[in-house]
Amino acid sequence: MTSGYIGVSVERDDLAFLDGTACYVADVDREGQLYARVVRSPVAHARILDIDVAEALAQPGVVAVITAADIPETRIPIRLPMAETPYTHLFLQPPLAREVVRYVGEPVAVVVASDPYLAEDAAELVDVDFDELDVVSDILSATTQGTPLVHAEAGTNIVATVPLGYGDVEAAFARADVVIRDRLRMHRHTAVPMETRGLLAEMDHGTGVLTLWGAAKVKHFTRSALSSMLGIERHRIRLVENHVGGGFGVRGEPYPEDFLVAFLALRLGRPIKWIEDRAEHFVATNHAREQEHDLEIAATADGRLLAFRDRAWCDQGAYVRSQGILPALLPALHLPGPYRWEAFSVETRGVLTNRTPVGTYRGPGMTEATFVRERMLDKLAAELRLDPAELRRRNLIRPGELPFSFEPAPITYESGDFPAGFEHLLDEVGYDDLCKQRQVRRASGEHVGIGFAAYTEIGAIGPFEEARIVPRSDGRFVVHVGVASLGQGVETVLGQIAAEKLGVPMDAVSIDHHDTEKLADGFGAFASRSTTLAGNAVALAAEDLRAKAAARLDVPAGEIRFVQGQVREPSGRTIPLAEVGEGRGRFDKPHPTFSFGAALSLVSIDRETGLVKVLRHAVLHDVGRAVNPELLRRQLAGAASQGIGAALLEELLYDEYGQPQSTIMADYRMPTVEELPDIEVIVEERPNTANPLGVKGGGESGMVGTPAAIANAVADALGVEGARVWRLPLTPDRVREMLRHH
Amino acid sequence: MKPPPFAYRRASSLEEALRLAAEAGEDAKFIAGGQSLMPLLALRLSRPSHLVDINRLQELGGVHQENGALRVGALVRHATLERSPDLDGPWQALREAAALIGHYPIRLRGTFGGSLAHADPAAELPVVSTALQATFIARSASGEREIPVSEFFAGPLMTVLEPGELVVEARFPAPSPGTRSVFEEFSPRAGDFAFAAAAVVLAADDGGRVRNAHIALGGVAAIPVRAHEAEAALEGEVLTGSAAQEAARLAAAGCDPSGDAHASGAYRKELVATLVGRALSRLREER
Ligand SMILES: Cc1cc2nc3c(=O)[nH]c(=O)nc-3n(C[C@H](O)[C@H](O)[C@H](O)COP(=O)(O)OP(=O)(O)OC[C@H]3O[C@@H](n4cnc5c(N)ncnc54)[C@H](O)[C@@H]3O)c2cc1C
Repeated sequence: MTSGYIGVSVERDDLAFLDGTACYVADVDREGQLYARVVRSPVAHARILDIDVAEALAQPGVVAVITAADIPETRIPIRLPMAETPYTHLFLQPPLAREVVRYVGEPVAVVVASDPYLAEDAAELVDVDFDELDVVSDILSATTQGTPLVHAEAGTNIVATVPLGYGDVEAAFARADVVIRDRLRMHRHTAVPMETRGLLAEMDHGTGVLTLWGAAKVKHFTRSALSSMLGIERHRIRLVENHVGGGFGVRGEPYPEDFLVAFLALRLGRPIKWIEDRAEHFVATNHAREQEHDLEIAATADGRLLAFRDRAWCDQGAYVRSQGILPALLPALHLPGPYRWEAFSVETRGVLTNRTPVGTYRGPGMTEATFVRERMLDKLAAELRLDPAELRRRNLIRPGELPFSFEPAPITYESGDFPAGFEHLLDEVGYDDLCKQRQVRRASGEHVGIGFAAYTEIGAIGPFEEARIVPRSDGRFVVHVGVASLGQGVETVLGQIAAEKLGVPMDAVSIDHHDTEKLADGFGAFASRSTTLAGNAVALAAEDLRAKAAARLDVPAGEIRFVQGQVREPSGRTIPLAEVGEGRGRFDKPHPTFSFGAALSLVSIDRETGLVKVLRHAVLHDVGRAVNPELLRRQLAGAASQGIGAALLEELLYDEYGQPQSTIMADYRMPTVEELPDIEVIVEERPNTANPLGVKGGGESGMVGTPAAIANAVADALGVEGARVWRLPLTPDRVREMLRHH
Repeated sequence: MKPPPFAYRRASSLEEALRLAAEAGEDAKFIAGGQSLMPLLALRLSRPSHLVDINRLQELGGVHQENGALRVGALVRHATLERSPDLDGPWQALREAAALIGHYPIRLRGTFGGSLAHADPAAELPVVSTALQATFIARSASGEREIPVSEFFAGPLMTVLEPGELVVEARFPAPSPGTRSVFEEFSPRAGDFAFAAAAVVLAADDGGRVRNAHIALGGVAAIPVRAHEAEAALEGEVLTGSAAQEAARLAAAGCDPSGDAHASGAYRKELVATLVGRALSRLREER
């Protein structure tokens, strides 16, 4: 019954992205549309004394100017219940600042005009009178005595404290032969997709339905959020996905602009279009990652890990956005990693600063946790004079110990083989040989280093996904799913699963993820969940359809075939497909899956200029089962490339007044092909026992270990000064600084 | 990131360009390759009332060598210099510098005159022009004048050009025999503006003794600067490894760069020593 699609690198259909026919939201135009321009705060913290819109309103082409006084009191809700605490709602963001602005870039007003140029001209004339307040410009000062408060009414800059514990930490530390401590810092950076965000909203006065184009990632949630914020029923809001030029976690969350554009379409009765520009993107779209950890690790003299303690300050920015306290929660869940600790205690805190709010970026929390833990493991290896690979080898959880749980901490590893995965990486890159090469190159005066990271990665988060398969009279099958396409190739992967499970050619299947009209529920594309959640739902829907068809013909489900619009059984009887109805599937996933990954990097350093060059970079990931190996490889390579940017180049800098210093591409340096090696990708397939397809997530893993592996490689290349590697990115200036001060 | 309103005029001759600029007044600007001006407009950091497009002015193109001297028209694109194999020997730094500007599509559009007039302190062509002692010919509706490079730059993104005044050509005097030049820079990423840059022009006699040296540095001050102490230390010396090292040290010691978020002053100073050292060792080796 299978047509052999799962496990095959089917070419994805991406011609539209290459030949210019892709239709991004900016390409969608509606009759009579107006253009919105958001007026943003130029200061990091201030009381708004007055907003004068008269001059802006008098400009040619201007139709409306709104401020907080024109919109209902409402705030953007949190999407994931686990990411809330009883008082996080105090910090939620209103679509337009009321009374106080809290970061540079915060929306203060919106100008609507007949042309985007005129809208931008008029926006400059909105006159806001600010009374400036003291600024919290970095995470550490957020919690010091007498610090200014980002939200005065809350009385604190701490959004949440996440304590996690396992075992008897005191006892383990008491038994330790070595304890090492350090402070480590991951910096602020974020996703910079080629396409910025954008939205177009239109009210259909005939049907009373509001349509919003430009939705992505979590369109069903955004619909509910808009429904409650605007006070109209869910079924009167329709969200439509267009082609997308990159998501990476930041696109498609409900942002202030989603509300504002929809609100204006309702208020003005005309379509409203808003396209984020690049300078806006750098202050308006979620930032990510910035955190500082005080970590101490206890081990035995022979390199057995005993326990760790971690206290961390995780930046939330000026508001809690739709991802709640994930910036503090996710690192906590990933600190233990794939190692057999006897005990640990973690306390991460989400803290507020007067800077752009923080959300999730590909590999959220896990990338940060992996960096701090793996960097410390290398310090431990140095202290113990142990090969860093050997230290990891001795402590990876063995397959016989799975499922492994750190209860009461909510961390359970279901399946996999961590040591085998790690050895696989070492074999593929030829670790022993690489060590010899390192020696030879060093002898000839080069400064080269090798670094590793091993990690676990949370993925395939529930709660569930549904799928509907609708057979059409022409013999084709339309598969409706609630996940989203962000360019990752999910249509191809889900098409493969549907085609294989239906026993039909792939071109008989089309995947429809674009529209909230077509499927009542869906949770979207995040946490490397689409293939696991929607994939299994599609498989179940296909089984359901087969079972229904078989029942009509009264034969076992295995015996029917779908041929040319007919259902056929072996003896030749047929019924028209259209009579069977539709297949439905729902896949529930109460627990997330952790998968194993590892990275290895070989770098060289120019000690005179401080320039780090990545000579080789390899990432390994256990995906359970690769539905489309080539697409997975590209996901891993893409994520690793972003990780190299994070490790060496990209940083969202602020000055002490909370003024962003990286608001153009020249100042926010992303790697180009010239800075990137060919990423070596190694896929492990150790089926996941917790779902029928045996799959795990794969969209983020390439990122997770990359900054850590590069940092460790740089430290190795630096030699004695390598111990100073404690923060990222390792820019040439910073590398020189480490070499300079003795 | 949409420009504020401006009027646009395209000139078809030099005379017309100068007349249009004069008529449009103080707030008019010429536009050449647009590679610096367009980003400034998009960020609304520049608000000209008029743009006078000079891209059609044939008379501003062309690279000519005559009697050992060199003339480069204001509209010569960076990519043209990069692909001029006869820019070697004394002119090699020019070709090397052009190849290091931005990315290829930028070099296809960006112009020599635009780079000078834009006057970014880290830009390559002003630095090479300083080392090669260029003179710029500037024209306006009211006449023509010659401005030596040492008087041309007035500060970051500032020159002595008056409104309506157009650079038409850069002239490089004939170098003495045995002159060679190289260009070195450091940027954190391919195509970025340099953190620091050095153009080194050396004339040596047959015995390898340096007759005169010109070293210009970029990215370390408000405008390109000469490393006079380093130049003096080289003159009359044979370019040995230790002479080069000493000159590199003096070049760094003689400048006092300020820092920014990406590169501290101390770091830029170190880069100067490294870059001058590398330039000199190339001149030693490539002889
Ligand atoms: C991504 C990127 C990277 C870049 N990297 C570098 C780099 O590494 N190094 C570097 O040097 N440059 C770099 N540039 C800038 C590029 O070199 C520009 O081409 C150059 O600085 C300006 O030349 P233009 O012809 O484009 O001038 P325009 O942008 O057209 O004009 C710039 C200014 O010069 C004036 N102007 C132009 N021509 C004349 C003239 N003949 N007489 C008087 N005034 C004139 C204009 O009025 C304007 O004020 C980069 C640009 C980009 C977009």
